[in-house]
Amino acid sequence: MKLEILNVTKAFKGKVAVDNFSMELESGECVGLIGPNGAGKSTLLKVISNITDPNAGEVLLNGQEISKMKSEIGYLPQYPNFFHWMTAKETLTFMGQLSGLKKEELIKTIPEILAKVGLRGEENSKVGTYSGGMKQRLGIAQALLHKPSLIVMDEPVSALDPVGRREVLNLIGEIKKETTILLSTHILSDAEEICERFVIIKDGIKIEDTTISNLLNRNGKNKLCVEITAKDQKWVEIVKKLPYVKEVEVIGHKVNIKVENIKKNKNMLLEHALENKVDIVKFDMNNDTLEDIFLKMVVVK
Amino acid sequence: MKKFIVLLKKEYIHMVRDIKVIWLPVVFIFLGITQPIVTHYLPSILKALGGGQGITIDPSMTSQRGGEVLASTLGSQFDQLGLMILVISMMGIIQTDKANGMLAFILTRPVTVISYIAGKIVSHYSIAALSVAIGYFASYLYANYLFTNVPFSHMISALLLYLVWILFIVTFTTMISTIFNSQGVIALISIIFLIGCRIIVGLSPVIDFVNSASMSKHAMTVLITGTISSNAIANLLVTLFWIVLMLFVTNYWIANKKFNHE
Repeated sequence: MKLEILNVTKAFKGKVAVDNFSMELESGECVGLIGPNGAGKSTLLKVISNITDPNAGEVLLNGQEISKMKSEIGYLPQYPNFFHWMTAKETLTFMGQLSGLKKEELIKTIPEILAKVGLRGEENSKVGTYSGGMKQRLGIAQALLHKPSLIVMDEPVSALDPVGRREVLNLIGEIKKETTILLSTHILSDAEEICERFVIIKDGIKIEDTTISNLLNRNGKNKLCVEITAKDQKWVEIVKKLPYVKEVEVIGHKVNIKVENIKKNKNMLLEHALENKVDIVKFDMNNDTLEDIFLKMVVVK
Repeated sequence: MKKFIVLLKKEYIHMVRDIKVIWLPVVFIFLGITQPIVTHYLPSILKALGGGQGITIDPSMTSQRGGEVLASTLGSQFDQLGLMILVISMMGIIQTDKANGMLAFILTRPVTVISYIAGKIVSHYSIAALSVAIGYFASYLYANYLFTNVPFSHMISALLLYLVWILFIVTFTTMISTIFNSQGVIALISIIFLIGCRIIVGLSPVIDFVNSASMSKHAMTVLITGTISSNAIANLLVTLFWIVLMLFVTNYWIANKKFNHE
């Protein structure tokens, strides 16, 4: 399996949602498409799953036009909305038959897949009575049913409560062993947990395409994080004037200090703080979280 | 073809769950029997309620023939209230799928747009045609009972002509439902256009020729005079042409994803 997105551009009434976007996806990858609201994530995923046609560019799966390869793709919409009058079993039978699966086959696979997504025992209740998390899981079941080589998920966990999110994340973690996954999200800790590769998109433009370790290594150097109490805020002003301090950033009681050489300077800074009788709550070497990096990229650029 | 059957089956199951398969025929049975009963009993009702002073009741009113009564069932019941009910029952045919994203969702599967549209039209047309036929048959029984007998062959050929007009109604509503996004607008446009078509029948032969509502007029003519008018075949072909054209527009609209309006 190989997905190629080539120079895709999509505009709505003059507003460009996706601007000349290209990327490639290899078999077995789990790629997170991250970006702020309105960055064009959903639009891009809709182009990939052939719901909207791009104004320019094309999407190829194994070298074939995507519109001819629909059975190789499983799509999970942002708000999966099934026919509320159908039961879960009927929904899966319906979607499965539309994907070209035989009825006998479905009779066998549907109970398996329902068990996998944790909906066993609910197969005969109407989808209209389902909670958001259950619908999401049914959506995943539906996307997995025809064993596609690529699964496209649009914000699979964003609308769920912590419990539902945990369940769905574990589920995705499990299925990523078997298929290639492309998912979009703006909850970075989720992406950090399940994806190995990130594509950051902003205003329809790809601004970063890298692996998580790469991203963290590149951004997390030479930083110390000191958490102090309110009465010692003055110390921050002194720190700013130290020769080896390059940058100081204050977030609440946390002070992020960028130094020239972390190995040499960290003890110097600690000594300095002790000399000034600073009440230290926490002192550690800071690695930027994905969120910090994301904010920096999206806000600054 | 297999996808078409799956989609068709889904539509039927939906209709059964919505009990549309019951209420739509019932509505048409009521509409169908209203005309013969009211026509038959109107003089007695007027006499009983109106005091009778100064009112002369045209004796020809009660001596209408069965065929005429059946014709006015089509003309004044089915083509007015019946048409509105049909349109309202179908206004969401495509629109609901568009609104809740199911249309886009279904099309992410390897399904052709044609099988999707065919599933919609065939299912909705068959339920509409069945309801109309049942209502019409009820009207036929009452007309035979309360007035003179209508020849069976006239009854059947009029029904067949009328069902072509019903197909036009279903296709038109489907097309409007595909193009517009609000149920109110869909109902309004469809009802005004279709009733407008029906009203202008008979104004000019040229308009009648391209007007599909003439099919309803032909059906009435068969019932009243017993002969199929010579224009009926030409009209039938023109109507079929319109239907194909509307199906084409619907298909074009969905296939080119014009329904995405984010």
